[in-house]
Amino acid sequence: MELQLLLVVSAALFGIGVYGALSQQTFVMIMMGIELMLNGAMLAGVALWGVSGAGAPKGQLLIVIILTVMAVEAALGFALVIGIFRTRQADMTEMLDELQG
Amino acid sequence: MNWSAPLPGVVLVGTVLVAGAYVASVLDAGAARLVAGRPLRVGELVAGPWREAALLARIRRSTTERPDAQTWALAPALLAAMAGVAVATVPLAPGVAVADVDDGIVLFGAAMAVVMVGAFLHGWSSNSVFPLVGGYRFVALALSYEMPLALVLIAAALPAQSLSVGAIVESQQGLWNVVRQPLGLPLFLVAGMGLAFWGPLGMSDGADLAGGTGVEASGPDRLAWALARHFVLVAVAVMGAAVFLGGWQGPGLPGALWMAIKTLVLLAVVVGVGHRVARIRLERFVVVAWAVLIPLALVDVFASGALAL
Amino acid sequence: MTDAALVADVAIWLFGGGSVVAAWLVFRTDSMVRAAYWLLASFVAVGMVMVLLQARFLGLVLVLMMAGEMTIMAAFMVMFMMNPAGLNPMSMVHQHTTAKVAGVVAFAGLAFVGLVAEFPDRPVDPASEPTAELGEELLGDSMLIFETAGVTLLATMIGAIAIAGKRGRFGNAQEGSAPPPVDPDAPAGPDAHPSPMHGGHGGHGGMHH
Repeated sequence: MELQLLLVVSAALFGIGVYGALSQQTFVMIMMGIELMLNGAMLAGVALWGVSGAGAPKGQLLIVIILTVMAVEAALGFALVIGIFRTRQADMTEMLDELQG
Repeated sequence: MNWSAPLPGVVLVGTVLVAGAYVASVLDAGAARLVAGRPLRVGELVAGPWREAALLARIRRSTTERPDAQTWALAPALLAAMAGVAVATVPLAPGVAVADVDDGIVLFGAAMAVVMVGAFLHGWSSNSVFPLVGGYRFVALALSYEMPLALVLIAAALPAQSLSVGAIVESQQGLWNVVRQPLGLPLFLVAGMGLAFWGPLGMSDGADLAGGTGVEASGPDRLAWALARHFVLVAVAVMGAAVFLGGWQGPGLPGALWMAIKTLVLLAVVVGVGHRVARIRLERFVVVAWAVLIPLALVDVFASGALAL
Repeated sequence: MTDAALVADVAIWLFGGGSVVAAWLVFRTDSMVRAAYWLLASFVAVGMVMVLLQARFLGLVLVLMMAGEMTIMAAFMVMFMMNPAGLNPMSMVHQHTTAKVAGVVAFAGLAFVGLVAEFPDRPVDPASEPTAELGEELLGDSMLIFETAGVTLLATMIGAIAIAGKRGRFGNAQEGSAPPPVDPDAPAGPDAHPSPMHGGHGGHGGMHH
């Protein structure tokens, strides 16, 4: 029962993340949506590892990989936000609707 | 620790923090007098912190235009709580630790990362320019010294083969880490000064910013912020005493007394440096942190690893 | 059930529920800094669930990492946004209906799988040492994976610096930079905007697609 409820919680986190990533206009808010999806994935991973996976070390390794993905996503996301702001002074998706330049 | 009765643990941590903060501010006032060549008046020094606290508590609160009042109130609470978490992981005497968890120094690192959140919130929430600049300064500093801080703690964990603070203290039987890893304690204290924005790293609340993140706080708010900052300093000193100075170990005297003496020594060092070393410019420190302190911390880790093999 | 186990269970529910509430508030608050720190609250709650499920090291590392990352996010928000403090109510969303539907579908699908699928009941042995096991795994059998993650992070660092640096690949990255036209009919280019820095920001508050 505990596992099912934790998986529902992680699904809720993922769903809110999907909503945020698709609906937000600001780049950083979109990144927040993506981070929430990863958060949900991580919770599901830990729940399965802790309640159903008998604590296999490979399960923790998967979480480490998700943490790495988060770090990469954040670093590249911020780099792109800065890069776009330098060249186009844009901080929202709608400001990048033309291909020229 | 007995989790169903948390009161003794809370009281113990609170006593350590309050006593440490009091001693630190007495030392600070004393050092200021020494540096200025004025006579030390012990009576005045001992009563000083109480008088200041009583004065601040009676001053009227001020506020700004549309502050974020909740996060403003949260900021000192975050700092104080994280200082408490840090102290809780440290054994204060043989077998007397509130929560000597097996990932103690990771918990300490996480708590100190949350201190950064608190300081930024304190700068941002008053909706005023100088505090915001102060908050930015804290973040720029913190991102620079967090890496050396994490590395020297990892180096200290290597000989203990454990991340628990208790095990690190035990591992220093006979040889303290301050001797075994001479780079560790100085780097740790640099980071600690940054965390408590003290002395040469007191940029976020510096006088050049008219008081930085604390500009808009007055009365009880200012008192809370000053207390929280002292608590963080005490937490750093307690952790430094345990991880680098052998904790409660020492000949003759009881363990708790050794721990208190070592904490006091570290507090005195930090306070003394604060009065003898000028404030460093932010961008200069950031360059030094990344180009000098991180390589030094890496040397510390490699050397400790080689020794531990 | 012992007292300690009961406390742990209740705490897991509180933190689990709290993580969802905090995640929801990320997109409901008007203040950018608050949004970043609600997200941090969500991460901290998940980190605490991890700690309670015995993945102590990873849970604490998550808190450590996210406290830094969310502070950077908050700093970015204050730097780039026209309304960081949340003084005015705002809603900066597009394709709102699609996004809501996608979010609900994702939640429903995943929750359905989570509820229907059968998983064996094999909890972590409380006497085990997950941190030590993780260390053995990272520097033992899975060392290649760990190293790959490390090299990926190194490549990310170099790439991020290359993208974000002021010295762009083709000279100064800011040269000729101009805000894009907010009004689709207005001409682009530096002449169209008397004050190029943040010139267009005032008009975005009501943008609502």
